[in-house]
Amino acid sequence: MTTGKSVPAIGFLTVTEHAEHGLFGGYLILNVSGRPLEFHCTAPLKPSRAQEILYGPTLRPFLFGEQIGQTLLAKAKVKPLLVCTDATAMLAAREFSDVPLLLVQTDGMELKTANLSEPFALGCRKVFTSASYDEDQRNVLDKWSTAHADSLDLLEPFTRIREALEEAQKTVRPTTVPTAA
Amino acid sequence: MFDWQPTNLLSASTWDVRDHCVALEANNLSEILSSQAFPSVESPDLWVLSPKAVALKIPRTAPKVTSFTFPEAPAWVQAQPPIPGAKPQAVKTMSPDAIGEESSKKPTITRIKPPGDVIKLEDRLYYVLQPPLETLIKSDALHFPFEPFPYQYQGVAFLYPRYAAVLADEMGLGKTMQSITAIRMLLRSGELRSVLLICPKPLVTNWKREFTQWAPEIPLSIIEGDASRRHWLWQQDGVPVKIANYELLMRDKEEVLGEGMHFDLVMLDEAQRIKNINNTTSEIVRAIPRTRNWALTGTPIENSPDDIVGIFEFLSPGYMRTGMPAKRLGELARDYILRRTKEMVLTDMPPKMFRDAELDLSPEQRATYEIAENEGVINLNELGDSITIQHVFELVLRLKQICNFDPATGTSSKLERLEADLEEVAASGRKAIVFSQWVHSIEIIAKKLERLGVLQYHGKIPSKQRDPILKQFKEDKSKHVILMSYGAGSVGLNLQFCEYVFLFDRWWNPAIEDQAINRAHRIGVAGPVTVTRMLALSTIEERINQVLEHKRELFNSIMNQTGAHADLRLTQQQIFGLFNLRTPKGPIKQAA
Repeated sequence: MTTGKSVPAIGFLTVTEHAEHGLFGGYLILNVSGRPLEFHCTAPLKPSRAQEILYGPTLRPFLFGEQIGQTLLAKAKVKPLLVCTDATAMLAAREFSDVPLLLVQTDGMELKTANLSEPFALGCRKVFTSASYDEDQRNVLDKWSTAHADSLDLLEPFTRIREALEEAQKTVRPTTVPTAA
Repeated sequence: MFDWQPTNLLSASTWDVRDHCVALEANNLSEILSSQAFPSVESPDLWVLSPKAVALKIPRTAPKVTSFTFPEAPAWVQAQPPIPGAKPQAVKTMSPDAIGEESSKKPTITRIKPPGDVIKLEDRLYYVLQPPLETLIKSDALHFPFEPFPYQYQGVAFLYPRYAAVLADEMGLGKTMQSITAIRMLLRSGELRSVLLICPKPLVTNWKREFTQWAPEIPLSIIEGDASRRHWLWQQDGVPVKIANYELLMRDKEEVLGEGMHFDLVMLDEAQRIKNINNTTSEIVRAIPRTRNWALTGTPIENSPDDIVGIFEFLSPGYMRTGMPAKRLGELARDYILRRTKEMVLTDMPPKMFRDAELDLSPEQRATYEIAENEGVINLNELGDSITIQHVFELVLRLKQICNFDPATGTSSKLERLEADLEEVAASGRKAIVFSQWVHSIEIIAKKLERLGVLQYHGKIPSKQRDPILKQFKEDKSKHVILMSYGAGSVGLNLQFCEYVFLFDRWWNPAIEDQAINRAHRIGVAGPVTVTRMLALSTIEERINQVLEHKRELFNSIMNQTGAHADLRLTQQQIFGLFNLRTPKGPIKQAA
């Protein structure tokens, strides 16, 4: 779990999907100037057939939020002011953290089925919180105003995470973690 | 009709039609049933039909996580302190509906990529995860006097992660700014603490000026003065950047190689100075204790592919060997060299227009020239096999001087043409640079063209007077012409306010000529630059020009890594061929 180190930082949490290996999770923590402080990535995760059947439409929130998101958030040493994600299913990770979790809108993002708050602007991006956590929006805006992070583009770090995950895949031969018997 | 009363089938353990399943309450049917003997019914045990709960265990194995922690650099980690007296900036709020339009403008992004020789995953990720350069600059961490070009960001991103690098951009593209910015960022991130910049002596003040412009917060120390002062300067701690010149390295060898001396980065400007691995300067530079090595040069290959081997002996000793095929050298160098030309990156930069002024010698010059050449060739032939390249060079220089001026009468078709052109330049209020190989020629031109507002900049001008001369040339509207020697004026100077360049005579090496021309044709130039190359027809100059053009083509073939093997030195045959001389047997005693 986090140590609550008092460095103004912002977390970026996402998942990349690999056709053969499955899901790779990445969590990048940046200071407000955009410099990396921590990076955590998971071994690939592949749902079993049983999980696919039994979880049905809740499978992605389970894998993204509970399995990957929760695990990654718990590994960080620095406690960020807020965490951003570009994957709707990752909002399920909010349940396992006391840090506000934001969904940053990307081009072509499917929002209809998601349980989201009204959108609001943060820097140059449109963001949402989970509708189940009403207070997150106010908390985020308060923290943002003190963070002096306006120069940070909240979508850009996800590109870095994806490149880092690719780099890690090139270097380390991945071992898929079995998730079901 | 039957009246159905459903009952709970599953709760039954035995089967009896009267008790279970359905209650039949039809009068007639009841009578019939009661009047007849009831058949015996077998009651099977239905326990086997009841469902069994099977618990499927789905283990929630958390995926394995690999973690990387990066060093915190206090200057970056902490939010920038507010400027005293400045109004606090309000957070810019924007309507979410307006965001779509805003974010659709895709900004240019320049990312730092890990070089091929960084192997460790943690080190590679450190670079992959760095923010785009544009983000760092926007975050108020760095201020620039003006917005750099995208290719300059790429140059910074190239240098930043490299421990061995050659920035070989063509003159005028801003190697100085790119390297200063990379140093600045590395100092800020804590990756560098001590930098030694070595440059030619005339460029020290230029570097000082550029650091003041691009990184005003970095303290500098210029190594100069008498021995005791230099000793103090070398030993000075707390000054992150020291600037020394090649010339004093010989004198300060003991200092720079002394015990405890170590630099996180040694950067060489005009790195072609160390292309000869056997020269003393090169040996001293290579011996300086250091961690990173950067070389700046617009001409990584001046004469031969082996020039690049000399530079790599500084960057990464033993990585290349002399005599390697050009193709192999190109492959080895690929990840370490970044070279861009103006044509590649500045598509909207005003053009550089060449105008060859091919002139006939004056009758007096021609007569003198013919005699000198004929006698010279006869003398060379008489030398037989004892002839050396030095003998040939002496004749070449003698003939080139006659092409400039007739020694007896002082007549010069070049000067006549130059005078006419420069009158036009001065009349239009513009400025020109005239290059010559000889100070003597410059002095004659200066005397003749005094009325046009002529300044001189060459080896005879003391160092302390040189910067004021450049300042005067830039600011004094009555000064239209500066006469420069190739040696003093071809590198490191920013004279982009000049629109005309005249090459009164030609240098041996096209790269040196390019450097000279690019004093004017560089970033910031307002309009096209016209380059006039003066050439005396039917003379040694015309023959040399043909060789120079050939060399230029070969240079391009190597730098483009086409794999063509090219030895760019003037060959024995080429040098002797200038006078149709027979090639002697035995070794050439002096290289071109």
